[in-house]
Amino acid sequence: MIKLDNIVVKFGEFTALHDINIHVKEGEFLTIRGPSGCGKTTTLRTITGCIEPAEGRVYVKGEDITDVPIEKRNIGIVFQSYALFPTMTVYDNIAFGLKIKKYKKKQIDDAVRTIAKKVDLSDEQLKKAVSQLSGGQQQRVAIARALVADPAIICMDEPLSNLDAKLRVQLRNELKNMQKDFGITSIYVTHDQEEALTLSDRIAVFNKGFIEQIGTPNEIYNHSATEFVCNFIGDINPLCDALTDAIGGIDKANHNYIRLERVRCNPDDTFVGAVFNGKVISREYYGLYIKYSVDIGLQTLKVIEKNDGVNIYDIGSEIKIGISANDIMSYNAQTGEAV
Amino acid sequence: MKNDTLTLGRKHSWTEKYGPSFMLRVILLVFFVYFFLGFMVLPCINTVKSIFTVKDSTGKTDPLAVIKFFFAGSMPTYVWNSVKLAIGLVITVNVVGISIVLLTEYFDIKGARILRMGYQTTLIYSGVALVTGYLFLYDNDGIITSLLSNAFPNMNTNWFTGFYAVWFTMTFACTSNHALFLRNAIRGIDYNTVEAARNLGAKPFKVLFKVVFPTLIPTLFSLTVMTFITGLCAMSAPTLLGYDSINPEIVRLAGSSTADESFPQARAALLSIILALFTILLLTVLTMYERKGHYLSVSKTKAKLQKQKIANPVVNVLTHIYAYILFIIYMTPVVMIVIFSFQTYSAIRLKKLDFSKLTLINFFGKQDYEYLTSRGTYKTREGSISGLFSNDATLNGIKNSFFMSIVAAALACIIVVIACNYIFKHKKTGVILEYCLLLPWLLPTILICYSYRTYFNTGDIAYVFGNNLYYQNNVRILIILAYTVVKLPFSLRMIKAAFYAIDSELEDAARNLGAGSLVTFLRVKLPIILPSVLAVFALNFNALFTEYDMSATFASSYGTTYAMVIQSMCADEGLYGYNVNASGRRCASTVFIMIVSGLILYLVYGVGSRDLAERLEIKEKRKKRIEKLKAKFKKNAAVGPTEIKG
Repeated sequence: MIKLDNIVVKFGEFTALHDINIHVKEGEFLTIRGPSGCGKTTTLRTITGCIEPAEGRVYVKGEDITDVPIEKRNIGIVFQSYALFPTMTVYDNIAFGLKIKKYKKKQIDDAVRTIAKKVDLSDEQLKKAVSQLSGGQQQRVAIARALVADPAIICMDEPLSNLDAKLRVQLRNELKNMQKDFGITSIYVTHDQEEALTLSDRIAVFNKGFIEQIGTPNEIYNHSATEFVCNFIGDINPLCDALTDAIGGIDKANHNYIRLERVRCNPDDTFVGAVFNGKVISREYYGLYIKYSVDIGLQTLKVIEKNDGVNIYDIGSEIKIGISANDIMSYNAQTGEAV
Repeated sequence: MKNDTLTLGRKHSWTEKYGPSFMLRVILLVFFVYFFLGFMVLPCINTVKSIFTVKDSTGKTDPLAVIKFFFAGSMPTYVWNSVKLAIGLVITVNVVGISIVLLTEYFDIKGARILRMGYQTTLIYSGVALVTGYLFLYDNDGIITSLLSNAFPNMNTNWFTGFYAVWFTMTFACTSNHALFLRNAIRGIDYNTVEAARNLGAKPFKVLFKVVFPTLIPTLFSLTVMTFITGLCAMSAPTLLGYDSINPEIVRLAGSSTADESFPQARAALLSIILALFTILLLTVLTMYERKGHYLSVSKTKAKLQKQKIANPVVNVLTHIYAYILFIIYMTPVVMIVIFSFQTYSAIRLKKLDFSKLTLINFFGKQDYEYLTSRGTYKTREGSISGLFSNDATLNGIKNSFFMSIVAAALACIIVVIACNYIFKHKKTGVILEYCLLLPWLLPTILICYSYRTYFNTGDIAYVFGNNLYYQNNVRILIILAYTVVKLPFSLRMIKAAFYAIDSELEDAARNLGAGSLVTFLRVKLPIILPSVLAVFALNFNALFTEYDMSATFASSYGTTYAMVIQSMCADEGLYGYNVNASGRRCASTVFIMIVSGLILYLVYGVGSRDLAERLEIKEKRKKRIEKLKAKFKKNAAVGPTEIKG
């Protein structure tokens, strides 16, 4: 559906994207993640035509659109700021693209009202100025505006970042449902890990203008291809040499890590692996789960435990910590690639 | 957006590269170069050149003749007089300006709202209109002078003239900027800082001097520089109140000939260049100071300033007295002029109010004028007393000013909007364009006007197709051009600020939805900046409609402006029915100016500043009100016949 072929983007002397190759399948939901300045938005803007690459080509359905101007690409965009036109009503915002394309009045009206219904905007809200709507409603307007002209692709640049946490979760689910309903190919940029893992069919992790890994959320999280991805996605414990020695069977020339949920608290007898005595030195309460810092003598480990309301350890409690060699993620110290 | 560098990578087709948008860009570029060189640079260079190409009595060119003359003659007096006025104004305008802002915004003074209205009257009438207002009170036959001379018969009734009269008048005339900008600055102070200082043991006046004033210093510095320049370039007050400063002298010299005195034009040019040098120096100092960027607020959550009570009862009473004395000084001319504008000719002449004979004759209609001749007989001059809108000269002045101001205000806005659109798209080359448009800020208006007057007073300028632009009606084009050029820097600063408010993603969004550059500009960007553009247009119009300095420099009967007509009304009312009712029309003119300016300010800051949400809410309320009325009407109609029956 979308193919980025050896894309290079330069801002003066600075190279923002280095030889980027991505292939997004039809109907797929691809999320781009990475730290600030890694090239996420630049990639998105290159696809939409806001930025022209210095090298490489952009293809949509096999057609080279690299030199097609932004206004002729028929790619919907939802901006981080929503970019709603403040001098127009909600209706006029949604109808803007159709008016430009010189649709008939009746067609415009039908299309606007249909899409408004789908994104849950009432007739009354259509008459309002965008500033009279809440953040969530504005986000729906931005989505409706992007979808009304029936684009083949929709690009979203952190569309939920301006919302409060509760609304973000609610709209995230709605967004996913909408994407499924419309069957539209979506490219989504986000800083939020949870958003990336829950929404995406695949995730592309960017770093300093390069792609570190593209894969399903499970591949990215559990089988991180590089040390950067392993560190960037989710919380992790780096293991010191003494601990790797104590666990056994691990090459300490590599950089070794273990995810927090893979460290077992008070493992039962069936557990296969190394067990250490530890002492809880801090506790962070998250509601759904509890995060502990446990000193096992060789180093301090972060551990998370499901909050069952019963087994809650106080600071200073003595607990046992179990680590299985199978759960350890190892990376070549020189190349950073998974071993 | 880094478009400048990004477009390098794009492969354009020939038609795309040299298409309509390229052609439009070329046309605009040519226009800007033509406008900049032809109407900003060349006329001023000609003025500078004229100083050094003067011929002496033997017919030889002597580059230093004017400069030698300058030091040998009385010309330094004019410069010193202007500098003296500027220095005096810096002191008094700051004292009064800071006072009016503190009294209305910082201290808890009873009746602060009314006081503020009084102090802000200079926003709706200034320049010639204001000076005539003061003359109406303090002139040799003015109301206050008459009252004083009755009390003190030996006093000199011509007391309100010269330096002190100009100084006094301009002190109150020039506080408008304080009323606007210093007020905003003081309202922007974080009250938590005041509370913190009080909490640490500082007394109210200590807080004022140690916490509040330091944050106001950048604004005060800018206001001081602007006041100094205003004093230096003063025109209407020195002209009307008789004070020999630079600008009136330039106008006098510009209208003089070599038959009367030595190289008057070159001397006028030298004086205007001296003004320009002063202005450049002061604005350079100001820019350097502004670049330091002092006292940025670090507050995350600002608290609104609360008025400070003056605890000491004696100081409190004295402050109130001071506040109301200032109020009286500001309001007396306004009130008197408004009242007298509805008085008869004889009441105005005698400066005696007669509420039994209120009239609109100063505004509309004509009356006969009966007068006593030197032979002791009475004669009548028919229709000699005419109102503002019935007097041909005044009406022509209003029409001229209205037309020229509206065209120039619009032109300045259009040029700046197009330029800003370019400046924001092309940051590197845009800087050059920006500086070109800011150039008139460095040049005193009188230099621009004087340069136009001398440079275009010939049929030899090829780029204006050999037309003498100073000749007869052409002078209106010249005045419009001068108005436009002079208003460019202000328009640029204001409209550029509005462009900053446009989120760059809006442009991308519009283009993504299929809109081309022109449609994006017209339908997305322009509606966003339109309220600011209209505000700038209105403020430009307001300033130009009553401007005097520039039109007086052109001094052409074909370009007589409203302010020039008002100025001529200040001349003594002649014998035998000539120039009768000038005082009445003068009062009516000031009232008319106040109404026009007030209306424009209301439209700009009241109606024009409403956003779409506010407009929709008002529309909704109006709709509901109409529906309510309709329902009431229907109900009455249904009840009506029954009542009749009953």
